Amino acid sequence: MRYIAPVIVGRAVRAVTRARGGGSALPGYIVNKMAPGFIKNVVAQFEYGIVFVLGSNGKSTTTHMLTEVLRGHGLTVFTNPSGANLPQGISSALLSEVGVTGKLKADIGILEVDEAFALELSKTLLPSTILMLNVQVDQLYRFFETEVVADMMLDTAAVATQHVISNRDDAYLSKIGEILSKKGAVVPDVTYFGAAPKLVADSAHGLFNAANHREEASTAPIDALAELESWDSTGARIRVGGALADIALPAKGLHYGIDAAAALATAAQVLGTEFDLAKASAAFSSMTPAYGRGELLDFGNEKVEFVMFKNAASLQLNLDALPAAPEQVMVAIDEGTPDVSWLYDIDFAQLDHVDVLTGAKAWQFALRLEHEGIPVGTIEPDLKKAIELMRALPAPATGHKTWVVNYEQMMLARKIIGYGDMEVSF
Amino acid sequence: MSSSSAHSVSILELYPEHLEASGERGNVTALRARLERAGHRVDVVQHTIGRRLPKDSDIVVIGNGPVSAVRSVYADLMENAAALRSLADDGVPFFAVGAGAELLGGGITLTDGTALTGVGIFPFSARRGVPRQVGYIVVESAHGTVVGFEDNASEWNLDSGAVPLGVVTSGGGNGNGREGVIAGSSIATQTKGPVLPLNPSLSDAVIRAALERRDVAYAPSTAHAELDRLAAKSREVIVANVKSVFTTI
Repeated sequence: MRYIAPVIVGRAVRAVTRARGGGSALPGYIVNKMAPGFIKNVVAQFEYGIVFVLGSNGKSTTTHMLTEVLRGHGLTVFTNPSGANLPQGISSALLSEVGVTGKLKADIGILEVDEAFALELSKTLLPSTILMLNVQVDQLYRFFETEVVADMMLDTAAVATQHVISNRDDAYLSKIGEILSKKGAVVPDVTYFGAAPKLVADSAHGLFNAANHREEASTAPIDALAELESWDSTGARIRVGGALADIALPAKGLHYGIDAAAALATAAQVLGTEFDLAKASAAFSSMTPAYGRGELLDFGNEKVEFVMFKNAASLQLNLDALPAAPEQVMVAIDEGTPDVSWLYDIDFAQLDHVDVLTGAKAWQFALRLEHEGIPVGTIEPDLKKAIELMRALPAPATGHKTWVVNYEQMMLARKIIGYGDMEVSF
Repeated sequence: MSSSSAHSVSILELYPEHLEASGERGNVTALRARLERAGHRVDVVQHTIGRRLPKDSDIVVIGNGPVSAVRSVYADLMENAAALRSLADDGVPFFAVGAGAELLGGGITLTDGTALTGVGIFPFSARRGVPRQVGYIVVESAHGTVVGFEDNASEWNLDSGAVPLGVVTSGGGNGNGREGVIAGSSIATQTKGPVLPLNPSLSDAVIRAALERRDVAYAPSTAHAELDRLAAKSREVIVANVKSVFTTI
């Protein structure tokens, strides 16, 4: 009963901030202040515990996949909306689901968590399972050095009370088994996912995981419980234990296939004997893409495919996943991506032209493309006008236009074309 | 000076696997593009740990990286220190950014107090662990206004009489109102972005120094116009948004 007042106040604040179209962090902050034990108490009710999904890239997609796979097994899942991965965003998400007395009817919580807050949040949320996806060069202006990010994840993994699921093919995260066994830790157990070596070797730019300059690579082969064997435009073939599954992917690409393997390995560990590969495959069949990750949205009589990037790895892997040079392309990038030095690490061979370049950093992007001799039609820094230029182009033969966008421009572009109803944590 | 006929220009790229963490590959890309558009052939030699350094080069480029990468390349760099100094003594221009520049300077004092002796080409020493500077930077230099992005927690102390690349008008730079350091025709800078694509005049200064040494004339032409136009527009926006505040949580 002691949560009635904070929950009601928090909800009222939430209603007001939503009506104003603002972010969702404030209500969670207020509830945290009024009732510090609130979150701990709510999450203690989850029978299967809490899963943290950590990684430089793929958190939203994998959280979504894992959520749907577990729902496919009949579990009621509490999860945070994509991108809402900072502490207050998570509190706000909890707030929207609980009853006024602080009861939350869910069997499990699956939360994507920002690396920088993962260890701190683990003290409140006491995660039973930690899934680590990858360490890729990301937001150096914020993290300074990539190995700092690796340690944030590895340190958090060590506090999982049951399972750690990690990436066998990541130079930092593949060390977690060694790290925990050196400590003599009895829990958590460690399970790996990965991609078949040939698949990685055949990928134009590999996996784009960060180089590890501080440790030698392991020489002993590591087994993966779930391994991506192949992927194409229709889906992925993943081996889970001894069984093979052909699953549909909500978005196409090597990295999405690996995210699916990560979700399957995690589901198998969390569910134990209840895990059913057929149910998991069925869940993938009806899955929609996570926000902005390969989504096809209506744009007049046409469709727009959103290809979102946040850093070098997500841009390169998404470009590599394009089946051919896209027919009509808009690129949108603004100050939400502060440091774009890494654009010079990207191979743009998948683009034969760009129709419209927009956002405050359009000129910097155009400068990069000019160095590769890739022609750009129009540079229009204003997104609204840029979208009108795209609308004015003749209907593409493929039926869809491709918009390569950073996170902030994706949010704005969606709003402009009428898909704006979404909470974010910023 | 010889005529504007095609020449082969060799760029030595030091430790690309370790010291190009801030897109410094782009500095090589910019030099290559401008040289090729001036009609020259460009040969990029990548030096990695354990390989032999080429005897001669026209330009030497090094970039930024984390402390772990600095430690990884250190022994190899020291083995090649004399050869690199001899290139510098011969007037080969070096273009060095961040941690790579610090390795080519007098030395680096790390946050744990340990010191690494540098190659001694640039007259400065670096001290790590000062408050981090992140964001756009604007510098007035002998090559005009230099713009870019800075992200470092390092203070550069220039040797007595050493000349900085320029004066900071926005941003942190060396930590004392100056940015970078020059040594003859060689340039060391904290500015990323990467800096050369954004600053054609800086690229041209490096190229001119390299070609003058071989008695070859260089001047940008209409073939460079689009690179220069886009760089100018990029720079305008950077100067306009120079106070953008970036989250560093």
